[in-house]
Order: sequence, then C-alpha cells, then structure tokens
Amino acid sequence: MNKKLRDFIFRELVFVAEPERFSDDDDLLQAGLDSMGIMRLVMFIEQEFGVTLPDAEIEPDNVRCVNTLAQWISRHQSE
Amino acid sequence: MSTSRHTILEKLNPADVFTLAMDEEIRRDGLAGNFGCFALELDGLPDIATLTVRIDEFRRRFPVTQASLRRIGRHFYWCKPDAEPAPPLFHHRCPGHRDEAEFRQETITRLMNQKLARERVTPVEFHLLTGSRQTTFFIRWLHPCCDARGVDLILKYLGTNQAEERLKFGLPADSSLVRQQLDKYRWWQKIALFWKGKGYVEQLDKQESIQPFAANQPAQRLNYRIQRLSEAQTARVAELAGQRVGLTGTSLYYLGCLMRALEKMRPNSAGEAYCAPYAFNLRRQRALAPMTGNHISALFAQVPRAIVNDRQALFAHLKQQYAQVIRRRLDYAFLPLMWAGSWLSLERYGKTLRLSYGSGKERSSFWFSDIGRLDLPEHGLAGADISAVFQVCQVTAPPGFAFLSCIYRNRLTLSYNFVEPLGTPEHIERLQSLMLAELLEGAE
Repeated sequence: MNKKLRDFIFRELVFVAEPERFSDDDDLLQAGLDSMGIMRLVMFIEQEFGVTLPDAEIEPDNVRCVNTLAQWISRHQSE
Repeated sequence: MSTSRHTILEKLNPADVFTLAMDEEIRRDGLAGNFGCFALELDGLPDIATLTVRIDEFRRRFPVTQASLRRIGRHFYWCKPDAEPAPPLFHHRCPGHRDEAEFRQETITRLMNQKLARERVTPVEFHLLTGSRQTTFFIRWLHPCCDARGVDLILKYLGTNQAEERLKFGLPADSSLVRQQLDKYRWWQKIALFWKGKGYVEQLDKQESIQPFAANQPAQRLNYRIQRLSEAQTARVAELAGQRVGLTGTSLYYLGCLMRALEKMRPNSAGEAYCAPYAFNLRRQRALAPMTGNHISALFAQVPRAIVNDRQALFAHLKQQYAQVIRRRLDYAFLPLMWAGSWLSLERYGKTLRLSYGSGKERSSFWFSDIGRLDLPEHGLAGADISAVFQVCQVTAPPGFAFLSCIYRNRLTLSYNFVEPLGTPEHIERLQSLMLAELLEGAE
C-alpha cells in the first residue's frame, strides 16, 4: 500500500529530488502537498483501495505522511 | 523550425492560448494586455553586474522569454524576434526630489499600462527601481509566456548562487503539461470530459454574476493598492482559515472573505451570485520545471448572494463545492475545452468559453490568484535581502478587479488591482478595511 501511495504522490503531486530518501514518516504537507493535491490523493485512494473516505476526515492527522495515510485507509478497509 | 519569414521557437500550448484569449479581451477593453508583475522589495542595492549576468544566462537558457508572439496560419507561436533583444535589466532611478513610494507606484503602473503591439512585447522583462531609501526589483511578464508559479521559479533561478544548482532548472521533454494530462485519456473519455466541462460552465452561467463596480464608463487604465498584514494578523488569519475551511486551504477563506467584503461595499448591486475563477497548476508542487508556458486550468467558486451573508454557511458551501468539483473530476474537465479552444480564433474563443466580447455579461465577479507561501532564497537576490514581495496583474473590464495574495516571511500580502475609472482608490480603501475585518472576523 505504501509503495502505491508513494508512487502516486511523487509521480503526480509533489516533486522531490530524491524520493528514495523521503521516508514514510516525513511530512507531506511540508514537502508541498497542497489542498488540490490532497483531494486528488483522496480520489486516488478511493479508486485504488476501494474505500470511501469522508470529507470530514480530511485532516492533517490523517494526511501528514505516508504512514498516517496507510493507517487511515486501513481503518476504513476493516469497516 | 522555420517558416519563410520567422524562426519558430515554440508553439503555444492550450493553456497559453487560454491566457492569450484573455490578452485579446483585455486589449479590446482598451487596456494594455495580459501583463503580470512580481515585485521584490530589497533592503539595499543588489550587485547589478551579478544580476545582469544571471538574467543574461537565464535568457540564453530560455529564449522563449525574449521571443516575439506571432500568428502563423491558425495557431500562435513564439518566434525569434526580428529586433535586437531588450537590455537584460532596465534601471529606473528615482529623481532626488521625488517621493520614492510614489515613484515606484507610478513606474510600475506605467509599465503595466504600456500599450504595445503584441509581437513587440518582450514576454519577460526585468526592471530595477532605485532611490536613496527604496530598491525594488520587478519582473513584468506577458501571460501567454508564463504563469505566476513559473515566475516564482524564475525568481528562484535568479536567486540561486551556485551554477550547478541553476542547471537543475529546466524544461521537460514535452513542455505542455496540458497535453500530457490529455494524453492519459482515450478519445471518448476526452469527449465526455469536454461535455462535462461545457455543462459545468453553462450551469455557472445560469446565475447572473455580481460585479464589483458599476460599469458605466469605459476602462482607462489599471491601478493597484497593496495591503500587508502583520505576522500576528497573518497567523490569526491562518488559524481562522483552518477552523473555517480546514485542509481545503486558505485560498477558499480569502475568497469567502472577499465576497463578503464586496457585498458590504455594494449591497445593492445587481446580480444573483458571486463567481470567482481560480486557476490551478498542473505542475507538481516544488517542481523546478518547466519554467515557461502556462500549465493551468480553471475552476470556479460560485456563491449565491443569500449564502454570502451567512458567514458559517458561506464557508461550508465553499468547502463542499470545492470537494465536489474535484470528486466530479471537473478539475480536468476544462482541459479539453482549452484544447478545442486553441483551434478557434481568439474572438470566437471568448464567445464560446466566456460570456464576453460585447455580450455585456461577465461570469467572473473578480479574478483571483493565491500563490501561497513563497520560499525565495534565504540569502536574497544578488547580495540584497528581500524584505517583502507583492504582485500586480491586468484584468478585463468587466469585472475590472483582480485580487492576488501571497505570504512571504510570515506576512500575508494582498494586492488589489482595479481598472479606473470603474474602480477608484476610494473604493479600494473601503474594500481593504472591510476585507481586513472579514479576514480577522471583525477582531479589529
């Protein structure tokens, strides 16, 4: 899951010179992920992982890094 | 590529043609054209020799910034100019007896209103204004050549001292991100997107947009005013924006506050809803390429008048509308429209995609751009510290008003661009005061 998220983020949303050095705990918002990027990421997650992420849950705690995104997805997958 | 008369450097991409259609419309309104300006207030004189060498290097690496815009057949192209290139840097010295702030305002306004035949405009021009107390470096660009994010990258380029770091800035193999995005769709998906985009703008046009000024006089010239908030005020605005619109961004907060401020300024104006276009960029965030060309598409925020009066409902509406627009993939739906538009004459483009060209109607209540937090080089520009930044842009009339925002060194800077005599400095003074109260929820 983390790899798919990383591939999408670095291919489509945020430019990072050396993505392999960007850890799954590094801050995506600091790296430049903006509101449009977050919404696109939510759309990608919903299509790719077959979950529905409520708009009300689009919060910094859920989208801060790849690991928090994965946890957010997992919570909805287990529902 | 070469034609019988002109050497072609690059064809305009569909987003470039979109901004060129705006240039055409601005010119038809009697104004100079689709100019933008990014101004840096410096704390002293930069090393002019270093700056000149760096601009020269930049121009050699990106020759389209000095090209001539020409129509060849059905399309527009950047061509090698016939004339000698403009000097790398225009130096304007404030006479000793002049007020320096007035001199700056006057010089920038004059250059933003400079009427030139399109093929004679230098797409990106660099200016330095000096006086005994104030120094301002500014870039004037023509919108079919660059968008604001691209000019932000030019500033980063000029402020990068290490030559090997500057080499990292470049153009991708396919310089049109619009085309790259469209290539991801099959032909029937493009047609479906086209109709979705067309339906989207037609839906918006069902409500008559409220205009900021009474349009009973012909446009004469662009003027601007800058409002800079303190660090404490900026932090408070960010906090309130977070509470009202959350992660969907401060841009929506500024939009909502501006709609409310305009409504308070002219509560009895005609119209049913405020409608604001906001361009978004197809570049990946923090990408160092491409530097030139427009890579934008447009979305709209539309709010019926009744909702504008209810602050809580307004932000809930804007937030929900924004999420829905992206969930319904309307963000990319404008791309096929821009592509199709690039095959039309500029006049027909305006008639088809906008409500302009003499129809007497205008979809936009104002133009809007939020470039967000600028991270210009810490060491400044050619040895001079950058103390503040602001932007200026031309706009069609109607609406005759464009609102631009950015944050630099933790201070929010708002730029109010208005076409005189439709808007006046008195209108803007009143609007600034209303806007500040809205941004701070009446705290001041």
